[in-house]
Amino acid sequence: MRGWFLHAAMWMASRLAADGTREALLGDLAEEQALRANQASSAAALRWCLRQALASAPPLLWVRLTRTAWLSTLAVALLAYVAVGVVQLAVKWAMAVSAAPGSVYAYSLLGMCVTFPMVVLIAYVAARFRRSAAVVLGALMLTAITLMTLLAHEHLPVWLRIAYFVVGPAAALIGSALRSPRLTRS
Amino acid sequence: MKRREDPLGSLEHIVLLATMRLGPGAYGMTVRREIESATGRDISIGAVYATLVRLESKGLMRSHTGEPTAERGGRAKRYFRTTAEGEAAVRSTHEILQKMSAGLKGLQPT
Repeated sequence: MRGWFLHAAMWMASRLAADGTREALLGDLAEEQALRANQASSAAALRWCLRQALASAPPLLWVRLTRTAWLSTLAVALLAYVAVGVVQLAVKWAMAVSAAPGSVYAYSLLGMCVTFPMVVLIAYVAARFRRSAAVVLGALMLTAITLMTLLAHEHLPVWLRIAYFVVGPAAALIGSALRSPRLTRS
Repeated sequence: MKRREDPLGSLEHIVLLATMRLGPGAYGMTVRREIESATGRDISIGAVYATLVRLESKGLMRSHTGEPTAERGGRAKRYFRTTAEGEAAVRSTHEILQKMSAGLKGLQPT
């Protein structure tokens, strides 16, 4: 399970790192993890690497945002965010019209499952216009979810809160990954 | 009147000094280790790279890619070196700090 978290964190760090630093950063983490596994234990090395990958995300995101043509990137990301909002409204409306009475949490989960591929698609299209726009979209979604969680007084189960935090930003990052040069190279 | 360069940020200053101490063996993880061993500060590798890239864009640092190695999963190191402008920026920041702290009790070396 921890290995899965590490892979997810490393993947996130690699997506956020600029092209010129990505390979070097991942190589550095791999080298240090092997060193720490020899000196201490592989579990401790794994924990250290996970902590590093997570702590690296904010500064790498900042570099990415400040090194690109940020105004047009932000404009594309905002348009994509509006598109995500429209999709969410449409899904909510469709579910309200068609749904039989049942658990509100089940509907939230179903809504997320329906919305997820659409957000991936929107992020992919945004990344075709500006490569960093999908990452900015993920950051916007994370900010919006954080604000809503802090301001809303609704009591939601922990798993649903975590799902809200993970699903949208993850979909945006997947859309960005689908547009990466490695995948789009023919 | 000629405008003087802004002094370095705290992390920029520390990263430049770590790179100067390491010489030709300076790459992301060695810079991180050097800072950790000298200051006890547990800094993330992402923050180190963010600073190195910013310093490079300011012309205070330059980099080149090394050979890929097996222990790094076939990935190459990116080596960093301080430029003459980088060394001048460190000197200038030290001068500013010395001038600002001159005469202040409790800040003199014991």
